[in-house]
Order: sequence, then structure tokens, then C-alpha cells
Amino acid sequence: MNILICIKQVPDMESKFKINGEGNWYDRADLAWRMNEYDEYAVEQAVRLKEQVKEADLTVLCIGPDQVTETMKKALAMGCDRGVHIADAESYKREPIEIASMIAGFAKDKHFDIIFTGMQSQDRGSAQVGVMVAELLGIPAVTTIVGFTYDNGTIQIKRELEGGSKALVTATTPVVLTCQLGLNTPRYPTLPNIMKAKKKELLTMAPDTGGIVPRQETASFYFPEKKGGGIVLEGDVPELADKLIQLLKDKTGILA
Amino acid sequence: MEFTREIYWNVGHGFTTLAPMYGLLLVALAVFAFGFVKRIKVYRLGQSLDRTDQRGERIKHLLENVLLQTKVFRVPGAGTAHALFFWSFFVLFIGTSLIVAQADFTDLFFGIKFLKGTFYKLFSLTLDLAGLIALIMLAGLLVRRYLIRPQGLVIKADDALMHGLLFAILITGFLIEGVRMAVTEMGTPLAAWSPVGWGIATMLTGMGEAGLRTLHTGLWWFHLLLALGFIAVIPYCKFRHIITTSANAFFADRGPTGKLTTVNLEDETTEKFGANALTDLRWKDIFDADACTLCKRCQDRCPAYTTGKPLSPMQVVNQIGEVAFTDREANLIDTVGREAIWACTTCRACEDICPASIEHVGKIIEMRRNLVLMEGEFPGEEVMAAMEQTEVNGNPLGMGYASRGDWAEALGIKPLAEDAAVDVLYFVGCYASFDKRNIAVAKSFVTLCQAAGIKVGILGKEEKCCGEPMRKMGNEYLYQTLAMETVEIIKGYGVKKIVTTCPHCFNTLTKDYRDFDLDIEVQPHAVFLAQLVSSGKLKVKVEEFACTYHDSCYLGRHNDIYDAPRSLIRAAGGQITEMAKNRDQAFCCSAGGGRIMAEEKLGERINIKRVQMAAATGAGQLLANCPFCLTMFEDGVKGANVEEQLRPRDIAEILAERL
Repeated sequence: MNILICIKQVPDMESKFKINGEGNWYDRADLAWRMNEYDEYAVEQAVRLKEQVKEADLTVLCIGPDQVTETMKKALAMGCDRGVHIADAESYKREPIEIASMIAGFAKDKHFDIIFTGMQSQDRGSAQVGVMVAELLGIPAVTTIVGFTYDNGTIQIKRELEGGSKALVTATTPVVLTCQLGLNTPRYPTLPNIMKAKKKELLTMAPDTGGIVPRQETASFYFPEKKGGGIVLEGDVPELADKLIQLLKDKTGILA
Repeated sequence: MEFTREIYWNVGHGFTTLAPMYGLLLVALAVFAFGFVKRIKVYRLGQSLDRTDQRGERIKHLLENVLLQTKVFRVPGAGTAHALFFWSFFVLFIGTSLIVAQADFTDLFFGIKFLKGTFYKLFSLTLDLAGLIALIMLAGLLVRRYLIRPQGLVIKADDALMHGLLFAILITGFLIEGVRMAVTEMGTPLAAWSPVGWGIATMLTGMGEAGLRTLHTGLWWFHLLLALGFIAVIPYCKFRHIITTSANAFFADRGPTGKLTTVNLEDETTEKFGANALTDLRWKDIFDADACTLCKRCQDRCPAYTTGKPLSPMQVVNQIGEVAFTDREANLIDTVGREAIWACTTCRACEDICPASIEHVGKIIEMRRNLVLMEGEFPGEEVMAAMEQTEVNGNPLGMGYASRGDWAEALGIKPLAEDAAVDVLYFVGCYASFDKRNIAVAKSFVTLCQAAGIKVGILGKEEKCCGEPMRKMGNEYLYQTLAMETVEIIKGYGVKKIVTTCPHCFNTLTKDYRDFDLDIEVQPHAVFLAQLVSSGKLKVKVEEFACTYHDSCYLGRHNDIYDAPRSLIRAAGGQITEMAKNRDQAFCCSAGGGRIMAEEKLGERINIKRVQMAAATGAGQLLANCPFCLTMFEDGVKGANVEEQLRPRDIAEILAERL
């Protein structure tokens, strides 16, 4: 089997986010980076499938600046066989169709049986890339999958629907699957696999959107306005009383 | 009259006695040697390890622990009885050797006799009393083992054999003496120098000389067979500890205390990490199993065992022994069990008390290394998540790394990247950097330093977890990654001295990082502050308060620091009421060994148990020196419902209030 896994490197959501100079995305400084959570499920499912069918070749693809190869190494350590890095420092500006065109451009003549990817990215969250790749390749897509079994060319998929209900879908290859939380628990790479990953093939390619004309642009990027939330006072009872009196004095006219 | 006795009285001198006697001795020695040769082959299945360096120190440790029974003696009761039995038996052994030396060498070849006169009188009395003490101690140990049956004591067929054989040897020895005295010494002044023998002899005088002589011959040969049988069975039953436990005192780890072996991850030919098979262990790990006497001191003190978790350090050691000597192909991890392997807090209570110099913790860590590095297995998903968080953000709490130094901004403390001209680098650690409760400790510590005129710097967002919890959980790879980065950063700033408020950081920086060439002085805050107080640089007001003090495992047993924190508490006016388990006997808080990252799902909660011990002192405050302990105690006072009576605090907080 020939399998493609598309992953994205995203900032850790606990990071201190700042808006970039252009005002259209976050600033890259002081951020910690990791693999998009949903893409981890995609990698894990692909590796499990390989463990099941034995004969499979897993290509992991990632678009972004050089730094994304760090995240690709994790996918290789988890069990992917080779990596394809589309080196594009401007990828954060691109709209989903451009990203999907790059992937489809790479995949079109490779005859992938299954393309796994996350159902969305944790930072942009458009949830469009997977389905657009399927459309561009002219193959079906099944989104938000939470269950996957493969038996002799037939794939049984469990999808998550709104309100917690599930749908069972049967599909055949080739197919694009976008993965959702609950599909699996991604493995922790073993040390021998981390070592092996360092020697695996990692191809770098130039970005090629195949002439797709961008139709959208991020106009501005801002934090939600801070609304007057509650205040939680902490401390000993006498301390709490003092703080409360001070607050009432400062913020209200009750004690005036 | 001449005060002496005829050796080989009644059994006959010369060839007819000596030939069968030495013949049998040779047989016994051959059986003994054969037994050990077979076992040595098994020890050698383990990986190589040099434990014959520092010979002088090793021999000293051997003599202290064998002849003085130093570690055995630490536990009153059974330990006292064993020590007294050992000394008595040792005296009997020396006595017998002197008889052999005179009868079969000096007298036989040169006609020299030294067992005579005053020396003989003292010799006779000493041996008589030694035999008596040995018998009493053996009886006491028998009562303990078979009647009192302390909880958790393993009783095997070996024990019955050992008790039976030793009793038989001692009793037949006394009977031979009694019979001989009944014929030769009754009514002479010599009898008084063998009071036990005299007592037996008085009961036998009615038998008549002929009967006594026949009885004597029989007993003499029987006693000889028992003694030689004893030598022969040593390698085949727990008697082997006479040799192996003694030898282990020589082979004992010479430190630094508790330091783990650093795995060579650069070696690309290594395909296996950690241990899941016998041959992955070091020879000392297999030898340890043979040195174990099943005294269960480790088990009695293990925080996991005593709270109902499936870990007994004694069992782990013996399960390795079972694999080594019965089923060599067995999987070590399956034999010991994952839950047991994950339950260890690396508190070192087991190793500290072990009279047999066994290293329990390293074996458990080796099995953890195999699970983590070869299988990607952890005790729970929360631990795997903490590992991943550490990879991404440099802390197991998953907080954004860039805010690591935020707590210090208001205090005017700068990262070394902005100002490297400082007196000390404060290596803050993850909890004091991110955890609200422990940030209060960091702030108190910095305030104290500032009051003493010490300029403190931090690494801020350049600081990462020291890697200790990950390393103890078996993730050597992540630990080494963190260690190498941290050492490089610290060395880059030309730091002269490092102070920590976390004993885990302290232990790691001061011991483990030596393998990555960090050779800068590191001090835990309790020691650093105690020096500032005693030199007069730091002045704190004495305001009396009642408290109890918890020795963290990593300041206490791992680094032998017990007095500095106590002197600091007293300097602030603290009246310490000690918990029953204090200093080297302190009971772990539950968070060591990387367990800070794990949920405690089995048995009672260790931290609640410790908090209850603290509450039992009646003191209103529980002073700690470790962020893990403090976290566990804050949680524990809630769990034990003593929030109102007991307040967990760090020593630095107490001092900062008294500036």
C-alpha cells in the first residue's frame, strides 16, 4: 500500500501569542512548536495500518519553513518511512486551496491508496485542506473519522457527527481521511526508532500551487476584546475582607 | 595443676582420627566450591561493571559491615540478635581454629602448646559463654520467625534447615564438652571455667565412664559431620549470605549516592536499552539477589509497599534471582510486573537500610528504561503527556516556555541573557517557575538573597526542566537532551555558583550533570541560606513557632543533608517536633521517581499517610524543602482533612516572614 500523511507544525496552544508586524497572523517569536494534534492521529493510524498489512510505504508531507522538519522527524520516528518537505516560509499566508493544490500537485501521479490528515489545524482551523485535496485528486473524502478498520481493500470508518451521534461509512481506496480526536492514542516514539528516523529519506521541494489564484486574504488578526470577567480573590479570611473592601472602594461608590 | 585439656581426648590422636576428619573436610570444601563455581557462572551472565576499584575503602566497608555488623545493628531486635549471634559464632570459629592450629600444626610438628594456663582459662570461658549467647540469640530469632511471625516475613524451607543445623551444632558442641568434663574435669578447679559444660556434666556423672566415653565418640563424630555439612550447604541455601552478603559489602556502590548509570546514546551500535532480560543487567544486579537475606527491612520502609502497592524492593531483587537461577529466558518485566516497576518513588529508603549493600533502585530504573525507550510505555497517559509537554515547552506542566521567568519580573531579577554579572545563578526548576504555590517559595528565596545582599540571576525562558523526573521514569533520551542543553547554557554564562530550591534539581545538577561536564558548585537553598545566617549576612528575627520538619528524600537519603535545614528552622525560632520517621528513616511524600507526573491509582495515598504522621506531632506547620513535597502536602492536608491544623510551608517562606 502507498500511504500519504499530511501534517502541519503548529504552535503549542499554551504559548504566549503576539500579533505579527503585518497584523495578519501571530508573531513567531517565543513560540514552542509541535505537530498539529489531529495530524498525530493521522500518523498513528497510518502506522497502525502498516503494522497490520506489513507491506506499506508511508510518506509524510509537511509544508512550511525549514523548522518544520523537526516535527517531521517525530512522524518519521513514529513509523513513517520517508518525508517530503515543501519548503515555504510564506505558508502561513496561504489560503486552504493553495495548500491543497501543493499537496495534490505532489500526490497526483504517486497513486496513494489512502491519504490521512488531521480534520483541521489547531492554529488556522479552516478544516478545508483535506477535502480540497480529495476534490483536486478526484477521489472521495471522509471527514472527522474516529474509528478505522481495514480489511482486504475495504475500509470501515466511524465518523463523528454533531451532537455526539456517529455514522458508519464504508469506503474503498483511494480515499482521503481526515482524523478527529478519539481515533487513537498516538504512540511515544521508541529510542531505536528515533535513531532510525535520523537516517530516513527527507526530500525538500519548492512550493508549487499549480497556478491557483488566491481568492482570500486575512485582513486582520486580533485577540478577543477583554470583557469584564469575574475576579477570584484568594488568601486568608482577614486578607480577603481587606481586598474586598479595597475593591468596593476603588470600583464602586458603595463605601464612598 | 596445668590448666589445659587434651585435644582429641577419647577420639584418638593420629592418623585414625585425622585422616577421616581431613578427608571429610576436603569433601565438604569441594561441595562448597562446586556450589559457588556454578553460581559464579550465573553472575557472569550479567554485563560488566568494575567494582574492584578503591580497594582500601572497599575493604574498610567490608570489615565494618561484617565484623562490626554496622548496618545489621541499625535495626534493634532482630538486628541486635543477628549481630550478637554473629559475634558469638565468630568467636566459636576462632576458638575452633585455635584448637586446629595447636593440635594439627604447632603441637603435631613442633611440640608447641599454647592452649594452657591463664590463656586456656579465658579461652575456655569465652567459648563457653559465646556458645550460650549464640544459643539464646538463635532461640530468640526462632521465636520471632515461627511464633511472632512479623508481617511480610518470608518463611522458607531454608530457614528451618538453617535453624535446625545451627541448633544441632551448638547443642552437640555443649554435649561433647559436658561428657568430656564429666569424665576428666569434675571436681577440678578447671570446671569453673566452662560453666555451661559444667552444668551439663553434673547431669551426666551418673552414667559411668564407659558409657560416657562411647557417647562422647559418637557425639564428636556427629558434631564434626554437622559442622562439615554446614560448610558444604552454604552455597545451596540462604547460608550463602555468609559469603555473598559479606562480599557485597566489598562490591557496594561507592557513590555518588543514588547516581544512575548514564547510558551511552551516542553509540549507534546499541540496539537495546534498559533491561527486560537477565543478561541486560549488570553482574552485580544478579549477585545482589544472592546477597539478599530476605530481612525485609527494605519492604518495611518502602512507601509503595506500605501503602498497598504491588511493589516490594525485596521481591524485585528475589524475582531477578529466580529468573537467574531457575528460568533464565523469562522476561524480567513480566516477572516483576509493570505496576511494581512504576510504583517506585526512588526514595532510597530500601538501599539506605539494606544490610546487604543491594542496589534496588537502579534495577527498577533499568526496567523502566526498557519500557520507555524500547516500548514507548508509561504508567499512564498523563505521564506520556507530561513527557511530550517537556519536549515542547521544557516543563512537564505544559506551560508556555516563554513565561518561565515571569514570576521574577516584579522582584527585579533578570535573566542572565540580560545581566550575567551575578553572585549566584538561581536554578528555579519547573514548579517554582510555574506552579502558583511554589512561585511563593521562589519569591521568598529571592527576597532572602536580596536581604543578604546577594545578587541573583535566573535563566528565565532559557531554563528547562533539569530532566530528573523524566530520567527516573526511564526516559534517558529526553533527560540527556535536556541535560546537554542546560549544561551548555549554564557554562556559556560563566556562572560560579548555582543555588536550587528543588532537591531534585540539586541532585541532578550536582551529581548527574557531572557526566556532561558541569563542574560548578551547586547548593540547595537550605544549605545556602544556613550559611548566610551563620555568617551573619542574613539576619532573621527570632519569632518562636511550633513545627515539624519533613526530610525530602533527595536532600536527606540522597545527599545526607539533615542538619542545615534544622539549624535554619531553629535560627528563625522554630521548635521542631520530629515525626517518628525522620532523617534517614523519613517517609517519602510520593512524588519522587517521576511520580510527580503520574496519578497514584493503587493503594492508599502516600502523601496523605505522610501528612497524617505530621499532623500526629501536633505542630501547626509542616516545613518542607522541596516543591514536590510541598505540592503533595498541600494536596495531602486536604485529603487527610487536616487543612485547619496543619499548614505545609517551605523553610524559605518562614524565614522571609522574619526579615
